[in-house]
Amino acid sequence: MTLNAAERERYSRHLLLPEIGAAGQERLKAARVLVIGAGGLGSPASLYLAAAGIGTLGIVDHDRVDLSNLQRQLLFDTASVGAGKAVAAQARLRALNGEINVVAHELELRAANALELLRQYDCIVDGSDRLTTRYLVNDACVLLRRPLVSAAIHRFEGQAMTYVPGQGPCYRCLFPQSSAGAAPSCAEAGVLGVLPGMLGALQATEAIKVVLGIGAPLVGRLMTYDALAMEWHEFRFRQRADCAVCGDVPSITTLADSEASCRSETTGQWPRYKPEELARQLRAAALEQRKAPLLVDVREQHEFATGHLPDSVNIPLADLGLRLEELPADCAVVFVCRTGRRSLAACDISSLGGLRSVADLEGGLIAWAAAIDPSLNVA
Amino acid sequence: MNTVRVPSPLRDYTGGVARIGASGSTVAEILGHIEQQHRGMRFRMIDEQDRIRPHIRIFVNQREVRSLDEAVAPRDEIHLVCALSGG
Repeated sequence: MTLNAAERERYSRHLLLPEIGAAGQERLKAARVLVIGAGGLGSPASLYLAAAGIGTLGIVDHDRVDLSNLQRQLLFDTASVGAGKAVAAQARLRALNGEINVVAHELELRAANALELLRQYDCIVDGSDRLTTRYLVNDACVLLRRPLVSAAIHRFEGQAMTYVPGQGPCYRCLFPQSSAGAAPSCAEAGVLGVLPGMLGALQATEAIKVVLGIGAPLVGRLMTYDALAMEWHEFRFRQRADCAVCGDVPSITTLADSEASCRSETTGQWPRYKPEELARQLRAAALEQRKAPLLVDVREQHEFATGHLPDSVNIPLADLGLRLEELPADCAVVFVCRTGRRSLAACDISSLGGLRSVADLEGGLIAWAAAIDPSLNVA
Repeated sequence: MNTVRVPSPLRDYTGGVARIGASGSTVAEILGHIEQQHRGMRFRMIDEQDRIRPHIRIFVNQREVRSLDEAVAPRDEIHLVCALSGG
């Protein structure tokens, strides 16, 4: 795949590097890289990969651009708000580099479509915002033998690793499985806008190295970054013989959507109160002097401290399993959190733990503040 | 006293502090001392069967800990790492 005159000019600084040169640049042009998630990480990663001349760049996202995305998602501008992310990203990347082919995949990655999609690419960059997607992508990469550059962020911290088939451990070797409430998303926990810039640029670097076969990718190494301390740390980790997907006797031989992922999308399983309904219930219980449902706030302690519903108790989601005995089995429990995501997981956990009457607040305290009490300070 | 680096998802237990001190000659003893100072934090990392939770990794300097019995030297730095999901 030879370079035309415009490409030789565009990539001239790469061509000067002995590690890349014309042969390397042609290799980048022939490469197919898929970026999962056009978010904080996917923005810098895809911009740098497009600028670097990756010949076919796929972008997967089923979401729409929200005003709150613009603090960190540099693919989009104010005029993009409301547009489909994959298509808006495609337009931006095409404007940056018309020499490459940018493919928009406007879909949600699921077990049913992941293998078919990932199979079309040589290297996968995971910038998704959900742990269940991270495991799905990892498992697909192991099954398809595709390299994976993975990164994740939280508040002021980030982490990254690279999986290369046959050369080292996978994401599941590092973190064998997820846990409800273990890792809140950016929407729930907040994130420094510039943080994903560091990690997304790292991902683009790793993907380019993997495609070119140069340098030492983060295989068997976890990089962590703390923006507040301005520290990078590197940790070594090994392949696990008992890894469920890349171990000696793998139990994962095909893809499946995780239970948590499925449940979180079939929200009809538990009663979900709209703010107005819950407010009505609480008022009626007070008027009729009967027992009101117990409000359990499953956010972290610092979120609870910022502001919470009157008479609510705080049990962070990650502690809920151990503290279920604190909740009376004969009392109706309504879980609340910031957006309604953690409260839904709490319904699952408490129901499995034997509580009979559980429900949650749809839309969380954000919705409550909007509909019932604007003075509620929601962290 | 060893230095222990706390990941942000666990800093609610340390009052937002990223580095804490803890003493012990094994990982288990270090975790025990952490629990004395920050109640409830050990359970976020270790389950009822004394296994490291699957979304948590513990490193002594750069080395991954697989057993809580592993030795810790006086100047070793302990890093607690939590799987992050944000993108």
